[in-house]
Amino acid sequence: MTKFMLLGLFDNVTTTATVVGEVRDLGIKDSEMEIMSNIPYASKIFGRKTPRQWFLPFALGGMAVGVLIAFFMSYITPRLYPIEVGGQGLTPVPPSAIMYFEFMALFTMLGAFVGFLLQNRFPILVRQMYDERITEGYIGVQVLAPSEAVMEQVVKVFENHHAAVVKREDAAGFPDQGMRHLLFWGGLGAAGLVAVLVPLLLTYDVVRLPWINTMKDTVVVKAQEGPRRAAPPDAVPIQGPVLIAGQPATERLPDTPESRERGAALFSINCAMCHGPAGNGEGVVGLKHFPETPPLDGERAAALSDDAIFLVITNGKNRMPSLAENLSPGDTWDIVNYVRSLGGAPAEAGQ
Amino acid sequence: MLESRADSSPFWQPHDPEDEHLAEQVEHGREEHLLLDPLPPAENNAIVLESMNKTGKAFWMAVLGLGGLTLAFLATWIVQIFSGIGVTGLNRSVMWGPYIANLIYFIGIGHAGTFISAALRLLRMDFKRPIARAAELITLFGLAVAALFPIIHVGRIWKLFYMMPIPNQRELWPNFRSALFWDMTAITTYIIGSTLFMYLALLPDLAMARDHSTGWRRKIYRALALGWRGTEGEWHKMESTSNILSYVIIPVMFSVHTGVSWNLAMSIQPGWHSTVFGPFFVAGALFSGVAAVILVMIVIRKTMRFGYFLREEHFNAMGLFLLIMSFTWIYFYFAEWITNWYGNLPMEKAIQRMLTGDLAPLFYLMLFANIVVPVGTLWSRRVRTSLPAMFVICVFIQIGMYIERVVIVSGFLSRNELPFNWVNYTPHLPEVLITIGTFGFLALMYLLATRVVPIIPLWEVYEGQAMQATRRIGRAILPTRTESH
Repeated sequence: MTKFMLLGLFDNVTTTATVVGEVRDLGIKDSEMEIMSNIPYASKIFGRKTPRQWFLPFALGGMAVGVLIAFFMSYITPRLYPIEVGGQGLTPVPPSAIMYFEFMALFTMLGAFVGFLLQNRFPILVRQMYDERITEGYIGVQVLAPSEAVMEQVVKVFENHHAAVVKREDAAGFPDQGMRHLLFWGGLGAAGLVAVLVPLLLTYDVVRLPWINTMKDTVVVKAQEGPRRAAPPDAVPIQGPVLIAGQPATERLPDTPESRERGAALFSINCAMCHGPAGNGEGVVGLKHFPETPPLDGERAAALSDDAIFLVITNGKNRMPSLAENLSPGDTWDIVNYVRSLGGAPAEAGQ
Repeated sequence: MLESRADSSPFWQPHDPEDEHLAEQVEHGREEHLLLDPLPPAENNAIVLESMNKTGKAFWMAVLGLGGLTLAFLATWIVQIFSGIGVTGLNRSVMWGPYIANLIYFIGIGHAGTFISAALRLLRMDFKRPIARAAELITLFGLAVAALFPIIHVGRIWKLFYMMPIPNQRELWPNFRSALFWDMTAITTYIIGSTLFMYLALLPDLAMARDHSTGWRRKIYRALALGWRGTEGEWHKMESTSNILSYVIIPVMFSVHTGVSWNLAMSIQPGWHSTVFGPFFVAGALFSGVAAVILVMIVIRKTMRFGYFLREEHFNAMGLFLLIMSFTWIYFYFAEWITNWYGNLPMEKAIQRMLTGDLAPLFYLMLFANIVVPVGTLWSRRVRTSLPAMFVICVFIQIGMYIERVVIVSGFLSRNELPFNWVNYTPHLPEVLITIGTFGFLALMYLLATRVVPIIPLWEVYEGQAMQATRRIGRAILPTRTESH
């Protein structure tokens, strides 16, 4: 038996609701009726059940994809290609939280949108029963009548309620959308996936291309490469204390008791924690050092010239930091005088 | 009959009360409220479609002018690419100049769009109905223009691929611990989310345009409308999807400008290193964004003859919104400065030179534009509903917020911890031309979009009109709102 597809247009809600009721009384199921409008009327206005929908799986699925991507971004990638940043672990919590938030949000939205498209079977690629006056405010009632007799009855209902337009056509003219939209999105999705995956294969070194990398061949890098050229003859020598044979590092202070006294005070502030209050290398901090802190009263210290000691204090040596910022040259000479008094060779008098 | 609209006739057919006094009130309500003044949808469709089809002399003049600005932008950019970033006024200390300020500014004006749509939708504020799409378009184009600026700013754009690890021979990896990367993810999420959100609400209007246009337009709208017919299922699912997107996109909106602020705040640059920067930037973004939406509303109302859709009530509501955002911005700005002042750190004190130094004129202009102008005027309904006044106020706010960004980026950078690095920044011609040019580019894109996209969300207006009615209380007729869900 031929089925018929009918469409009636009504200009107000109350009439539409009445028509829906009367058509239902003719034995037509709610699922064989469809109401179209240019306003989101709630279904209860027409005495119908709210249409069913499934958004939770789409939104949760999207969220799960987001979590996976964020995990990949913040956990897997830093372990495949670690970048060490001072004081930070490879996967610190706060930036990871940002990644999880953003990717979850993005893919929840995408998931919901995909859910919207799939549940509505968009894009509709088949002919549909429709009338352009629906976007002019008319409410369309589409009915699938199982037989010609029922069709006549429905038309009568439509006409009794002054339907603006009544369309009737053989239902065979409106084929089922079927899986076409899935094919459409499946094809598009597969193309998109390939477009994302191919660069990822290259990125994660799954596939290696003999790519030319010119990054190290730049002008900037070449200038830094050796061998280092000698300084030109008229170059200005380095500023600050340097050991030049036969010359004192700076103007030294004479070794007087006052100078030693000042030196002792400065020594207890700046040196004692490592070299020990007595200068024997057994300071609280110094004992923990490896190699161990050298004593200042032994032969090793005695073997150094005053200028050499001055330079060690100023520039530092091995684990010992430079004290140039803490001590003025005068302070440093005071300490040298004091250190000389601790043992080893007697201090040279004067310059 | 007065209490509720007779539902056995179309919602757009008026029912005038017989009592003369009441009829007068109904007439008054119709003038005041868009939702109480329904026209047949066919007429409204025609207003919108005609405004899209009309390309008069003024339109082409505008296209020419804005196209010229766009060309100036492109030409300057090409010059900058050929001669290097050195042609700009950027220097070693002030390495972030107006380009980064523009990035912040354009992302900022893009903020209000989705906020107005999503938050006001969830709060069921009726005044946003005719505004939503114009605002969302600002979001899209604002973000698109903003995304240009990092590319302009890097200088050697032919080495842009260095930033992408494809293929991996350079061993360059996006470091997710970098604030720049947080910002990039947030912006990407926001631009994709905003596009989906806008497209979703656009479907019924695309279907309308499909039904009532011809030629190439019909073909395009037909493809874009995806076969929308407006069945109960389609509407219901659209509603749910919009809800989900709204709930998700509001926190994302907050994260975007917070991410932008972290680009600055995660450094130890005095003036930037501040925990208040996140919310402060969000408040500033909404402030300038709402002002930008009002500007666009005024322009499209004038040029596209949307007097029917955009009425005093909408400007009034947006003006109040703007006033609230102004208060919020003032609060955050004060909070930032007082911490700075109380801390009294020498390097942070150096940036307080704004109060008296060479940046003082800009600083006080900003305070005037962002505080004195809005707070001093917007309390008055007469000002809020006057289009010329609102235009001037919103232009002031744009100027003020632009200065705020420039001062934060280049002003603070010019005084860092090491005084030997102190240097003042003066923009050179390329920055000026590129900045002005991109404003033209944004306006041009918007202008062209208004001829293709139905800029008034008609279905939202119809929904509001169908669900609004009047109710008689005593001798007065007052608007009421029906909630059908």
